[in-house]
Amino acid sequence: MVVSEAATHPAIERPSSAEEVAGILREASASGAAVVPVGGGRAQGMGAADRCDVELHITRLDRVLEHSQADMVVSVEAGITLEDLQSELAKAGQFLPVDPFNSPGHTVGGLIATGWTGPLRLRYGSARDFLIGIRVALPSGRIASAGGRVVKNVSGYDLMKLHHGALGTLGVIVAASFKVFPKPMHDVTVELPAQPIESAWAAAAHALNLPLAPAALELFSDGRVLVRFLGSPDAVNRMAGELDWKPADGSVWPAHSRRAPERWARITVPPQRLRQVVEMLPDGAEWWASPGVGIAHWAFDGDGARVVPVRSAAEAAGGALVLLAAPLALIREIGPWGATPSTVDLMRKLKHAFDPDGVLNPGRFVY
Amino acid sequence: MPLPAAAVKELRRIVGRDSVIDAFNDLRIFERDASIVGALPDAVVLASDTSQVAQVMKVAARFDIPVVPRGAGTGLSGGAVTIRGGIALQLTRMRRIIEIDTVAHTALVEPGVVNQELSRVAAREGLFYAPDPSSQKACTIGGNAAENSGGPHCLYYGVTTNHVLGMEVVLADGSVHWVSGDSPERAGLDLCGVLVGSEGTLCAITKIKVRLLPIPPSVATLLVAFPNVEAASQAVSAVIARGIVPSALEMMDQMTVGAVEAHYQAGYPTEAGAVLLVEVDGIAESTRELITAIRDVLSENHGYAMREAKTQDERDLLWAGRKGAIGALGRIKPNYYLHDGVVPRSRLPQVLSAVSEIGEHYRLPVANVFHAGDGNLHPNILFDLRDRGIMDQVEAAGEEMLRAVVELGGALSGEHGIGLEKSAFMPWVFSEDDLGAMHQVKDTLDPKGILNPGKIFPDPTRSHVHLAGRTGLAVEAKWW
Repeated sequence: MVVSEAATHPAIERPSSAEEVAGILREASASGAAVVPVGGGRAQGMGAADRCDVELHITRLDRVLEHSQADMVVSVEAGITLEDLQSELAKAGQFLPVDPFNSPGHTVGGLIATGWTGPLRLRYGSARDFLIGIRVALPSGRIASAGGRVVKNVSGYDLMKLHHGALGTLGVIVAASFKVFPKPMHDVTVELPAQPIESAWAAAAHALNLPLAPAALELFSDGRVLVRFLGSPDAVNRMAGELDWKPADGSVWPAHSRRAPERWARITVPPQRLRQVVEMLPDGAEWWASPGVGIAHWAFDGDGARVVPVRSAAEAAGGALVLLAAPLALIREIGPWGATPSTVDLMRKLKHAFDPDGVLNPGRFVY
Repeated sequence: MPLPAAAVKELRRIVGRDSVIDAFNDLRIFERDASIVGALPDAVVLASDTSQVAQVMKVAARFDIPVVPRGAGTGLSGGAVTIRGGIALQLTRMRRIIEIDTVAHTALVEPGVVNQELSRVAAREGLFYAPDPSSQKACTIGGNAAENSGGPHCLYYGVTTNHVLGMEVVLADGSVHWVSGDSPERAGLDLCGVLVGSEGTLCAITKIKVRLLPIPPSVATLLVAFPNVEAASQAVSAVIARGIVPSALEMMDQMTVGAVEAHYQAGYPTEAGAVLLVEVDGIAESTRELITAIRDVLSENHGYAMREAKTQDERDLLWAGRKGAIGALGRIKPNYYLHDGVVPRSRLPQVLSAVSEIGEHYRLPVANVFHAGDGNLHPNILFDLRDRGIMDQVEAAGEEMLRAVVELGGALSGEHGIGLEKSAFMPWVFSEDDLGAMHQVKDTLDPKGILNPGKIFPDPTRSHVHLAGRTGLAVEAKWW
């Protein structure tokens, strides 16, 4: 838990129903207590709350509410871990295509609140793209739903988008519905062994331009490239054949998703500018990147002086550098988020509308 | 009620004298969209750029005049109808494709660009814009973003919101903002995601950055006959259950097929109880494998008379039949009321049989042509407006169909929007607290409520509109 030194012993709450979550928030709003929602605790280094009077753990809300296999839709409580959800879906040959770093242990609520993604984002997008319904406990003590359990829906405002990536600052997600996907017919991974980095970038660009685009493509600072093809067997085999790289075991992906350095930052820029920003990283830096998406993760060492120039470059390229975990002093020194978005006033107004007393994650997000 | 003379004078100063329309006969052109309700605006303002839109909004805010942004007027839920009068803010003069980035695969467009025009221009670079509403020959990208439009190929590719990277918007106070952009995982609230699909109630959209996709090298299109819609619905579920998500999976019932075939002579089997149009795309290997697997599943599920398009012309003709189906139905009756609802895919047989019973009960012909893969049905009630009292019957039947959708765990709209048409039904699926949270967003971004008032949210004062809504008791919408 990254909170200010002044916060001594926050109360720990482990509610087992959405109503209890709402009750805790209502009381906090009345008393002005600061609440930090916690799921699997995988992203607690992302931003730092000014205060924490209540740690609100949602992990007891861990039920699968309904898995409609034929409809390929699942509704779950927000505290279920991604792994438990995946094993439920696997019974029907289905899966949720998200593989966030710092796995295992992400809760569905945490995943939505942080908006974290992994290599599969290249093919499937983020949870934003398949989150079809949401239920949120609000600081007012009310519980509000949006969306539904159908895969296509324009009934009312898309509040799923409002809470996705809002880091639990507008409400605490208590349940969610997803469109899920069939396990692909064929799943093949190939690896290009360590290369000079120039040729690794070129190989990645080549693979991304294949007629059947990779479902995931990761480029590593040691010059390795991992590519995953999903689809029908002949198509997948033809693409893997065209690359003619070394076959790799599928277990490289879960291993890759376990990455979570002690200090790390996420660089996000328009994909065509990723290389120029990554090339600014210091010699010998450890990083890995999804060049097709425009995301790189950097396991940095050293102080703010090493990070700030890279952040400036990312921002100049139209993107951002966000700290995912770092010593509190460093987070305070350079700020977790970087440049304030130009629309921050609108964001603040929405924050104030939903959380007028500022009880949820005060000071932790961009506003 | 005419606008205050001072306001009209200012509007004319902003956009030019001829770009403000307020003569009664001219206004009537803007009375309707493609829905069955209409209302006259007090003035139509034709804006040419963002700065004009912003200045118009400021005038409207100062004089408390409602503003309804409007594109091609092809919307089916009354989203562009000026139900409280005020200004219809016409954005179709803003129709430049500002940039197509062939490296990043993005396009920056003005809101008035026609959907199909964007794909036509992008095709020169080997790219296309995926969301393809059936009205794509006319509808605009701005309207698509406002309504979060779908289309046949959204089954695989996703709907508009999955393809909008960022937008320039003008809020109710006239302020101009860029929301989101082409970098992923942006820090801060996803305002863009909330504004897409807000039906003109939160902002006017003045620029849109969209994702383009490479045109797939290989496409296979299959037309399959079924004895009845129930069998076709089962087949749809069976395909998806096999782990195959085609790029499109469309259904037409016998009445629709008859009308389409009479009009297009595309080779649709008129004796069939229902047909499915299935398309897969990708590289040659995958389309071949997928279409073979799909053929197997469909024949196991009573599909027959399968016909695969051999040439692009054949494919185009099959799609012309599908996308022109609604127009072709004019052969049966001169007027139609096209409904839009979504059910969990496995409930399609039940909902279609309910729809058919309702049609029979009201003695109204109902033609079905819809996105079966998404569970997104479009019952189309056919009628002749000249028949006395027919509108009441049509509306009552439509409402009952929607009720059946909701009772089967479905949603009020899959792609047409709530607009005016279904606002009274929102309490069927959303609690007061649900709607309260949505209204919180509305009140925050448009505190005076001047942007497209009377839409989405139930409006107790709306008694003069046809679809005033005989709202029943809320369905137990306990989908958690």
